[in-house]
Amino acid sequence: MNRLVTVAEMTLRELLRRRGVLLLLLLMPLTFYLIRRDAYLGQSVRSLLLGVGWAVSTAALFATTAARELEPRLRLAGYRPHHLYLGRMLGLWTVGLVISVPFFLLPMIDGADLRYGGLAAALLCSVAVAAPFGMLIGALLPRELEGTLLLLTVVTVQMLIDPAGSGAKLTPFWSSREIATWTVDNTDQGYLSRGLLHGFVVTALLAVGVAAVASVRLRRRRHLRHLPVG
Amino acid sequence: MNADDWLRTLTAELHQRRVAADAARHVVAEAATHLREGGGDPWVVFGPPQQYAGAVVESIGTAPGPRPGPVRLHAAGITKRYGRRTVLRDATLTVRAGQIAAVVGANGCGKSTFLRICAGLMSPDAGEVTVSGRLGYCPQSGGTADFLLADEHFVLVGAGQGVARGPARRAGRAAARQLGWEAGGDVQARHLSGGTRQKLNLTMSTLSAPDVLLLDEPYQGFDQGTYVNFWDQLSRLRDAGTAIIVVTHLLNQLDRVDIVLDLTPARETGWHAPGIQGGRP
Repeated sequence: MNRLVTVAEMTLRELLRRRGVLLLLLLMPLTFYLIRRDAYLGQSVRSLLLGVGWAVSTAALFATTAARELEPRLRLAGYRPHHLYLGRMLGLWTVGLVISVPFFLLPMIDGADLRYGGLAAALLCSVAVAAPFGMLIGALLPRELEGTLLLLTVVTVQMLIDPAGSGAKLTPFWSSREIATWTVDNTDQGYLSRGLLHGFVVTALLAVGVAAVASVRLRRRRHLRHLPVG
Repeated sequence: MNADDWLRTLTAELHQRRVAADAARHVVAEAATHLREGGGDPWVVFGPPQQYAGAVVESIGTAPGPRPGPVRLHAAGITKRYGRRTVLRDATLTVRAGQIAAVVGANGCGKSTFLRICAGLMSPDAGEVTVSGRLGYCPQSGGTADFLLADEHFVLVGAGQGVARGPARRAGRAAARQLGWEAGGDVQARHLSGGTRQKLNLTMSTLSAPDVLLLDEPYQGFDQGTYVNFWDQLSRLRDAGTAIIVVTHLLNQLDRVDIVLDLTPARETGWHAPGIQGGRP
């Protein structure tokens, strides 16, 4: 448990010291919200959620890429793969929750009439999905540029795809969009249930994906035999 | 190099060459007295410290080194190919507790690959490695976190072994001091100079008190004093029973090691049979 918490803490410290990144993390959802503010409220809230998702995914991607060289030696220092990826995920979720707070308050200050419980749930879903999503891309693509371009593609698809179409459910942030519809448009409870279920399943699948990649990359190699000190 | 630096280097050289501690102290004290009373540049009076230490060893001999202990690392028949190119063929190395092995060879001959295979960070196409005890590994570069302080690196590595924060920090600072670096500052790793960053890297690898220490040219960016401290620390670790494998291209240090593995391929015949080729008896 101590190892897990230590990795989470160090992830948090690293991200908090990247002031430029933090500023952009806050700026991105704000821009997304403001740019749609004069139009339909639902669109600006959905854009805000997507902005939070993209910001946390990007932070996760950068944190994962930066740790690529460090993790093998931490493995030798006594960490198991799950300490490393779960610790990092925990740290990223914490950062995501912290940056979500001002974006939960933003529509409130702006006087938007919506279900705030729904907004909280949608933000939670965005953050929950975004951390393992960015980590998985970072684990699969070793270079930040490639990862960022892939993230950009996914978010653009998410933005442009018809949410009612069956393909939309395959996009990672569909859950927060569905919950946002319940939050803004006062639709039936089905939107909330479907969104929560989708968020939970996608988070679980992505976390399993991260675990699988990390376990392969940081596995004990067969050629190496460890004997106790004789 | 002033007189103090010269004397410090001489001390390290005598220690490296395993001159008995009392005799070494006596030699250094005599040299210091001579310089103080007679004055003059030690380089003119005594010559380079390495050369003077060599003369001392010839004159008074060395203390018998501790007998090598049990085998800590045995790599047998290591073969590695990248596509059609074979970078390692049947490389074999055995290192015992209390020995330093140097892995040498031309650029691109597979030195770092061999070390990564020994550390279990990369799989060979053939061969196996048996390690007895805990492994420590210091990469050529990287291996640190840009935005963390040195103390946070020590805490992170220490937590892997279940060491509490305070003791991990203290152990890290003490190990860094052996390299002539006060590590307690409030400076993030990204702001450290290349040499200091390598000191951090090296300190991290020794922090978990490994039984087998693998070092991949860890002295990149070290100044002369740090370089001497580095070999001095390796000697101390060897004397404490650590098995050390160091990748190096600085052949002038080979007299300080017990085993040499040369991975340079022979152009005429294809390959040398890699193996133990010499070093300090």
